[in-house]
Amino acid sequence: MTTHRSSLFARIVRRVAIVLMLGAASLITAAWLYARTAADEAYDRLLLGAAFQMSESLTVADGALRFVLPPSAFELLGLAQRDRIFYRVIDPAGSTLTGYADLEPKAPLSQSRNGPVFGNTEYRGAAVRTVTLSRAMTLNDGTGWSYVVVAQTVEARQALASELTTRATFLVAVMSLLALGGTALAVRYSLRPVDVLGDALRQRDPQDLTPMSADVPRELIPFMTSINHFINRLDERVKLLQRYVADSAHQIRTPLTALTAQVSLINEDNLTPDDRRHLERVRNRTAELARFTNQLLNHAMVIHRFDSSQLAAVSLNDVARKAFRTAIPITVDPDMVVSFEAAEDDPVIMGDMLSLREAIANVIDNALRHGASSRLEVRVTRDGGYGRVEVSDDGPGIPAQEWGNVTKRFYSTRSGKGASGLGFAIASEVASVLGGRIGFREKAEGQDFCVFIEVPLAAEERV
Amino acid sequence: MRLLLRSLAIFLWLLPSAAAAIEGQRAFFPSNGKETERLTIHAATDLEAMRPLIRDFQELRPGVAVDFVDYVTNDLFRQAVDACAGKSRSADILLSSSVDQLVRLANDGCAEAHTSRETSAAPAWANWRDEIFGFTFEPVVFVYDRRALPAAEVPRSHEELADLLRREPEEFRNRIGTYDIEASGVGYLLAFNDSRQAPTTYGRLLESLSRTKTVTRCCNNEVLGEIAAGNVRLAYNVLGSYAYAAAKANPDLGIVVPGDYTLVLSRGAMIPSNARKPALGKQFLDYLLSSRGRAVAREYSFFFSESGPLPAGVDGPASLMESGIARPIRIGPALLAAQDEIQRRSFIEDWKRLIEGR
Repeated sequence: MTTHRSSLFARIVRRVAIVLMLGAASLITAAWLYARTAADEAYDRLLLGAAFQMSESLTVADGALRFVLPPSAFELLGLAQRDRIFYRVIDPAGSTLTGYADLEPKAPLSQSRNGPVFGNTEYRGAAVRTVTLSRAMTLNDGTGWSYVVVAQTVEARQALASELTTRATFLVAVMSLLALGGTALAVRYSLRPVDVLGDALRQRDPQDLTPMSADVPRELIPFMTSINHFINRLDERVKLLQRYVADSAHQIRTPLTALTAQVSLINEDNLTPDDRRHLERVRNRTAELARFTNQLLNHAMVIHRFDSSQLAAVSLNDVARKAFRTAIPITVDPDMVVSFEAAEDDPVIMGDMLSLREAIANVIDNALRHGASSRLEVRVTRDGGYGRVEVSDDGPGIPAQEWGNVTKRFYSTRSGKGASGLGFAIASEVASVLGGRIGFREKAEGQDFCVFIEVPLAAEERV
Repeated sequence: MRLLLRSLAIFLWLLPSAAAAIEGQRAFFPSNGKETERLTIHAATDLEAMRPLIRDFQELRPGVAVDFVDYVTNDLFRQAVDACAGKSRSADILLSSSVDQLVRLANDGCAEAHTSRETSAAPAWANWRDEIFGFTFEPVVFVYDRRALPAAEVPRSHEELADLLRREPEEFRNRIGTYDIEASGVGYLLAFNDSRQAPTTYGRLLESLSRTKTVTRCCNNEVLGEIAAGNVRLAYNVLGSYAYAAAKANPDLGIVVPGDYTLVLSRGAMIPSNARKPALGKQFLDYLLSSRGRAVAREYSFFFSESGPLPAGVDGPASLMESGIARPIRIGPALLAAQDEIQRRSFIEDWKRLIEGR
């Protein structure tokens, strides 16, 4: 799968990250604005203090304006250590008394008559913050306004603002990373039920068409309902198909019985040896067809029983013995040694007598037909929490690589040679519905090849 | 010869028409090896004091020739202002004892910042904006004539000096020397700081000085020369380095570090913003601030240092800074107040009115 698949996790985390980034950007911008305001307020006080000191040094002596520059004003401004200072004192006539004559605040001087006026401007190639103070002075030639303009470069303000902003940025960055990490963890945690549901689906037995009952959060219930709805429909379909197969088999059986009877009525005496051989083949094929039809019917029966009947306590000895009797024909080869060995303490399992008997009979039948050459043993044992029916024979057995396949329907190791391919499938289905399995044990020194069915013991038996 | 040139320079400066042509005393130090670079120093600092430093710098940089021009402080300032405005050639480094003028230059954007390992070692009071650095440590002292002033009478503080002059005004008439603060930027800076440091004492001292008809001279060395000549018994506000150099040559001179407070001046060094070879100027600045440069300065040029003890024969506490009487003149914006035109004019007028009795 080379195409890029979008993941829920990535989608959520990406969107949260975008939101966090936008949030962080706006927070940092706000912090920067705040820091600038704070720095301006702090240093504006120094500036205003210095301007006041200078303004108060304006005095009138003998009707003339006198001004003595207070060094303390500069010491105050010097607290912003790296900043340059410019000032200008203007007398009521509008001419510069002292200082930098070309220092011009942005706002008109007269605006400061209502109070100190702050402003930003550029002076001598540097950005400066200015403050303008006014003072009414009465001189010989009447009352007029004199002004004090003090300007300071903004290095200290910028340094303070950038320091505050840097700290805020650091905090915001840490918070954003924490939030993003937390989101990732939370999303991973919240999406876990999806994985659980996926695992439950994946681990399901392919045969299992019962509705799912995983414990999922509310958001996933529609999803699971849809899956279950789909499973139900599939189940109905499969049942319909099985019924069709069963009905067909049933319909075939009647003419087949007639056909067998008719074949047996043919008088062989008048036949040429060739014809006789052909007749023998027809007989064998008819028998095979009959058995196959029976198996189809049995399979349908087994499935039907599990759909409709309740499980009950069943003695494994009993059921195995019945199966043994059913499967070993009276006409068994006299050279064949067959034996049945019941368990000493009769294991009781929860199951359906008929289905289980059919399953065991199929395994015995298979061993008899394809395996055993001179010996066949059926043994009932108890193995831990399981009851087990073992069918062993002295035949060549089934190679290990075929074990997985033989339980599939219509699969045979020796195709076309009398194999029905349904026997193990029926046995396997019955075992798995009862919570057990069908298993194989390899032929070894002093031990025959063995096929076994194991089914969990009934609850009260296990103790 | 030098005195003559200096007087000439002052004379020229006093003539307004001649103000455009500012002349200083030029000295040339050819390079030790083949000349690769030429450093131009404009200074308001005694050449004799700078000579060992320049020579030692040339030991380190044999390819550097040094063009040294010495001005009086006010000329240096006017020259630098012109240079900053692009009207005349700028030096690669400015050295001035009148640091308030350098602060004014830096404030007006005429300085270039420089940071290095050496500059970061300079004390905070001797560094403004990484543009002006104080590279010397010079206490401001009294110098007296041992022949004319008995040890018991020697004043040990500004207060005592004022009292002495008040007690015996006739005895000291025309026998006290100090800077002419109108002609000398350093003189003005020191007087201004005196007035800020101890306003009352300063007022009394000025009054006493006026009563004794104080002799004023443009420069340290001229004041010291008056003492050596026997014309003046005591000089007030003399830079320690000049005083010590003179005392070494003339054992009749005694030096007192005033015990109430001692102003400490640090000569300023500044790289002008339009220096032609700022990198070379910065190298010389680094040299001046380096431990090697300071050692040479202490040994041969300025004799005092911030960390070391007072040189032998100087009357005062063992360590100026630790004793707490040292008042370093902080290189910073507060010096702008001294540079204000009105401030300067009114301060000098007040001073002149008192000292010259006008």
